[in-house]
Amino acid sequence: MKKSEKGPAIVLILILIYLLIPLVVSIIYSMFRNWTGIVPKGFTLETYANLFKDKEFLASLGRTIVIAIVPIVLTIILVLLALFVTTIYFPRLEKYVQIICMIPYTIQGVILSVSILSLYVANPTFLSNRIIMLIGAYCIIILPYIYQGIRNGMRAVNMPVLLEAAEMLGASRIYAFFRVIVPNILSAIVVSSLLAVGIIFGDYVLVRNLASSAWPNVQIYLYQAMKSDSMKSSAVFVIIMAVTFAISAVVLYLRSRESRGRRAQ
Amino acid sequence: MSYIKFENLYKSFGSNEVLKDINLEIEQGQLVTLLGPSGCGKSTLLRCLAGLETVTSGKVYLDGKDITNVDPKNRGIGMVFQQYSLFPNMNVLQNVKFGLAMKKVDKALADKKSREILEVVGLGDKLKQYPSQLSGGQQQRAALARAIVTEPKELLLDEPLSAIDALLRHSLQVEIRRIQRDLGITAIFVTHDQEEAMVMSDMIHLMYKGQIEQSAKPTDLYTKPRTSFVASFIGHYNLFDAATMKKLTGEAVDCENVAFRPEIIGISRTPVEKENAFTMKGTVNVSLPHGNILRYAVMCGDIQVDVDVLFGQSELFEAGDEVYLTVSKAECIYL
Repeated sequence: MKKSEKGPAIVLILILIYLLIPLVVSIIYSMFRNWTGIVPKGFTLETYANLFKDKEFLASLGRTIVIAIVPIVLTIILVLLALFVTTIYFPRLEKYVQIICMIPYTIQGVILSVSILSLYVANPTFLSNRIIMLIGAYCIIILPYIYQGIRNGMRAVNMPVLLEAAEMLGASRIYAFFRVIVPNILSAIVVSSLLAVGIIFGDYVLVRNLASSAWPNVQIYLYQAMKSDSMKSSAVFVIIMAVTFAISAVVLYLRSRESRGRRAQ
Repeated sequence: MSYIKFENLYKSFGSNEVLKDINLEIEQGQLVTLLGPSGCGKSTLLRCLAGLETVTSGKVYLDGKDITNVDPKNRGIGMVFQQYSLFPNMNVLQNVKFGLAMKKVDKALADKKSREILEVVGLGDKLKQYPSQLSGGQQQRAALARAIVTEPKELLLDEPLSAIDALLRHSLQVEIRRIQRDLGITAIFVTHDQEEAMVMSDMIHLMYKGQIEQSAKPTDLYTKPRTSFVASFIGHYNLFDAATMKKLTGEAVDCENVAFRPEIIGISRTPVEKENAFTMKGTVNVSLPHGNILRYAVMCGDIQVDVDVLFGQSELFEAGDEVYLTVSKAECIYL
């Protein structure tokens, strides 16, 4: 290794260690009964085995995955349609859309959940369903990230010219948008949805306040486990991390395979 | 009968009137250029024909039909844009096939036609390449193929070569002209480059401030400018008003402006007696080589006259040399 490359490498390794320590420690905690000295003792995988036998745990994990996917898909469709309409028909409205989409940055989860509860619980409507409230709340929380990601993607492709070119070739605007523009901003959509997955997996406040009994997902399960069994809670934490990694890996793998195919041909 | 016709066309953006009462007719099979400085409305006029801009008032006819309010996708017009406009997610072949798919052409036929047209524009070996893998010139050739494969009634080219380097630009000018002739396409080419317009066009419409200033064949536009703007825009004319002309030559002229091209001026160290000619005395200020010609800026008092001389044809002058200039009166243009 050349001298000049050593400095950055050391910094990278330090950051990597810093980021990995909590994960490594959790893995160790979840696999050893006893860790009082330097070397942990009493290796066992029983905790994991029990967890995967526990129907309640598996259901909670499933709930988390569902509650991550539904709001992301909804928000992406919403943002795409809004940006389609503003860019093509009402360019002047775009800055207002941007302001609206940025507001959730400033709203704390506690405030959001309390406001939603006080607004919808008092007079029961279709929106008072706890699960729908939770989906709505997550849509609001991830809106700025999805919006910003897609907006940047659209800036990177020369959208007006591409749309005009497609139109001159006989395509309708909406067809051109979904056939020409969306495929070109797919990577931006993927990256922002991964970010949103991370945010939803990391949330506890919203799900606790809005739907802890109606939709006990894995974060709620983790919280219950922390109160009783530290080994179990570490194992739950490790599994959540693994699932998050797995989702990211699968999506990124699909993306890279596609673009590699495009380059190789 | 004219193939394309603009009738009393007006276009405003807010209070800014970009096109003022445009009346223009274009014949089938010709390549016509809209030439003019930036902001003269030439691109807007093209976009009105494409349907990408709505007209404020007036009518547009194509092949005898009023298309003023027809959607761009239903006009049957092909267009090549100034910016690269290939779809980045599709390869060259898929890009070219896009328009045929929109027209619901049979897939096998579309494939065959697309391959043929890409052969014509010289991209037969780049079918599976993506736009990001092509050079600017190749991208514009692919865009041209994409625009003409659907056999449009009319091909519009909006400064397609302005982002391409000079050498390649020249070969593409020739190539576009060849393809246009071979396939008998009616085309409108927009450019701000007068040389490009001269090389390519059957007919040039010079635009200025939202109006057609002069419509003429390239050679006529060059030798017979009708207004002082045309004279100043084309061919580096020396353009002087009557008062300046009086100061310069000592003779009164019976018109507003006099224009003469730099290459018709005689330059010598001694006075030349010539009948029916303006004579001027001045000092060479700078001499600039422009390829095969040498351009002198000669100061006659405080008035600058540009003089072009073919390299190696006559004796050379240095800055500071005193010279006499002669211009035949018959070759001047009185505006």
